[in-house]
Amino acid sequence: MIVALVVASAAIGFGVRSASGRVRTDGQHVDRSLTVDGAELTLLQLSSPVCSACAAMRRIGGHLAESDDGVGHREIDVTEHPALVRELGVMSTPTTLVVDRDGRVRSRIIGAATADTVRSTLQDARLAHEGVAA
Amino acid sequence: MSAASPAASGIDPRGPRFGAAITSVLLLVTVGLALVTPLGSSAVERLVEPAALLQLVLVALFAWGAFAGIQRHPYGAVFRALVAPRLAPPSEREDPAAPSFAQGVGLLVTGVGLLLHLLGVPGAIAVSAAAAFVAAFLNAAFAYCLGCQLYVLLVRAGLVGRRTA
Repeated sequence: MIVALVVASAAIGFGVRSASGRVRTDGQHVDRSLTVDGAELTLLQLSSPVCSACAAMRRIGGHLAESDDGVGHREIDVTEHPALVRELGVMSTPTTLVVDRDGRVRSRIIGAATADTVRSTLQDARLAHEGVAA
Repeated sequence: MSAASPAASGIDPRGPRFGAAITSVLLLVTVGLALVTPLGSSAVERLVEPAALLQLVLVALFAWGAFAGIQRHPYGAVFRALVAPRLAPPSEREDPAAPSFAQGVGLLVTGVGLLLHLLGVPGAIAVSAAAAFVAAFLNAAFAYCLGCQLYVLLVRAGLVGRRTA
């Protein structure tokens, strides 16, 4: 019984770990007010006040926005945006939305991700946009 | 705009994980004791069972972390005195609000379990200690952040209100 409990917990742990930092493609939700003015793509980070992983994502998003003129980073507190959280079906923080210039949510990064994951997600969003434009 | 409060002077995130490791071992012992002890016939009998006494200690420790803040928790003092000096400095610091929130969740789960046990509900300690163990173990072994998940669900359920922006 005790052993089963530990094994089950470890299985949950590996499941949660592999799910963290995954990327999901969106495209339905459009809201102009989500963007950072002038940015081609906005990393909109949804955070909560009791969230350890949000600090790590804040740093990564901030760095990327600094090094890339086309990328903006913005952080909002889910407490103040319950309607948005419900509408987008956000289940955990941090959830980072990749929003294009028109306010369309193109994809979302769930949980703490590596800088490489965020970079390649931005890259994919750019390519998809060019694909539509062509 | 950065609405979420950044950690002005955060804590070493490994401190709460160290504490969670101790807590998860104690919770596991509680589950084991609860499973081998038959339910007492009176509330006093049920209170002095080893599993109930250990759960009472855990409830008190969770309350300490939840109300005084994780940075004042006795495990944190042990971590700073004995463990942290042997480790490299932390690569990043953490806002103590998240682990303190998790302590509150632990307090709720173990507290309700203990109360139901005293009222004579069979299996209350084993089930509540097992549930708390899962969260504490995930925190210790996988740096799982309970607040990151639960808080959003509370917002979605409308239980955490809109703050005046």
